[in-house]
Amino acid sequence: MNEQSTIRVIRVLLVDDEATLLEYLSKRLLRQGHTVKATFSGEDAIEVAKQEHFDVAVVDLKMPGIDGVETQKRLREIQPFLQCIVLTGHGSIESALESGHEEAFQYLLKPVDYDHLVAVIKEAYEKKMKLQEAKFQEQLEELHHHGMGARGMKQAIAELRKIYGFD
Amino acid sequence: MDSTNSLETELKKVRQELAGYKIELHQTRGYLQCILQNSEDMIFATEVGGMLISFSKGAEKVLGYSFMELIGTYIKDLAEDPVSFEEFFNSSGHDGPTVQLDIPFRHKEGGTVYFNVSLINLTNREGQSVGTVGVCRDITLWKKIQEDLVRIDRLAEIGRIAAGVAHEINNPLAIISEASGWAGEVISDAKGLSPEDREELEKATKEISHQTKRCRSITHELLDFARGSTLALIEFDIHDVLRDSISFLKPELKHTSIEIDTQFMSGPLLMKSDPKLLEQVFVNFITNAIHAIRSKGEDKGYIRIKTLSINSEVEISFEDNGTGITEENQKKIFQLFFSTKAPGKGTGLGLSISQNIVKNLGGTITLDSKVGVGTNFTLRLPLS
Repeated sequence: MNEQSTIRVIRVLLVDDEATLLEYLSKRLLRQGHTVKATFSGEDAIEVAKQEHFDVAVVDLKMPGIDGVETQKRLREIQPFLQCIVLTGHGSIESALESGHEEAFQYLLKPVDYDHLVAVIKEAYEKKMKLQEAKFQEQLEELHHHGMGARGMKQAIAELRKIYGFD
Repeated sequence: MDSTNSLETELKKVRQELAGYKIELHQTRGYLQCILQNSEDMIFATEVGGMLISFSKGAEKVLGYSFMELIGTYIKDLAEDPVSFEEFFNSSGHDGPTVQLDIPFRHKEGGTVYFNVSLINLTNREGQSVGTVGVCRDITLWKKIQEDLVRIDRLAEIGRIAAGVAHEINNPLAIISEASGWAGEVISDAKGLSPEDREELEKATKEISHQTKRCRSITHELLDFARGSTLALIEFDIHDVLRDSISFLKPELKHTSIEIDTQFMSGPLLMKSDPKLLEQVFVNFITNAIHAIRSKGEDKGYIRIKTLSINSEVEISFEDNGTGITEENQKKIFQLFFSTKAPGKGTGLGLSISQNIVKNLGGTITLDSKVGVGTNFTLRLPLS
């Protein structure tokens, strides 16, 4: 396991209509030093995602309003690198896989084993970092080719950093 | 002379006609006899008052009486409720048949047989009633199947509800799991706790966590089993499926002294088939074995499950020391709705469905049984 990523703070977005569950989940994740935002519906999560940047989302499949699959699809439209973990009650996995061609990072069965969830969150985070890093390098290369002045470059890089949440 | 000749010719003509009618009558009689002898339906004829004057072979078979025994009997007296049958009988129409459904009759040996009865009046040329003919269709089996279908539907409904409950319980379980984990974390940082208290609290929270994991596997096993899947051929280890089946029946076995003895061949036994359907078959066999052992009242009951791989086939046997199956029943047990259990205690479907599943998967079921000793079911399946 990469030591650096365990020190890194992971920004987690929780989405579940079961408020009590999120209360305890949040407390435990916060205690481990991560940044957590809890939302109680897909709609709320989407609004929050427009304002703040997250690394990993943990989304419940069954919610009143838009379901987990639809939620993570829309979240990824707003934040393309966001990795989504979908929590599902038994038997819904197949329907989830059928309806959601938008691939979640992983599907986990409820009730979830906390330690397992944390391990998966870390894996999701690693994946996001890899993808982001690759894309960031790509765009950085492009910038070089365009040959802007030093100040222009600095601004452009700052923009990129903001988009990729490197701040 | 002329008149005598014409008289003779007339007579000859009449004689010929008569002979012709006689043949026709004979043929018609033969035709009717044929119908009556061959029909499975109960067909009877009565005189005007309802006394039987004819009773078909089918009737004899279905009610258990020979016509000889019934000479002089009124048809209404064969019904379970002669009074209401008489009402129906007297109302039988002159414009075509009168039909009444679902009339119970009494079998000679005491049971009840149900018929759909169609009565029609026989009238002579003057329009007077000379008797009644009844054609009755035996619907006893059909009624039984209807009742069984209702019962099965109710069982299916209960199954659906159970699955729904299991699904719902997963949510509070998740919360209990998280809350207890959180409590454990708070406790490990808590200051001012005596070491004994700390240890007790840690033990308790660990126990809560452990038990919720257990609840989780119970609900998941039930939901797994309840999910009716279409034939899905995948590769798996049949030993895992056997272990799952045994584990699924742990609650059943808990209050018995039955020992499950597994003699699996060493190593995983991989095959390509449908594990969900096979699990259903295994659960069926084991449940039947449990029932057989309990019926016998055996204290040292065992169910021995063996696996063997021969050529390109896998052989799985389920042996028990239960009541055993009589020779006569051995032929019937795979029949739909056949059950040796008390009414309402079983659907009589298990083995026929199992046999169907095994057949569709390309396998066979054979059995070997001795009354008072036990039974051995052997299942053979192709490896792929």
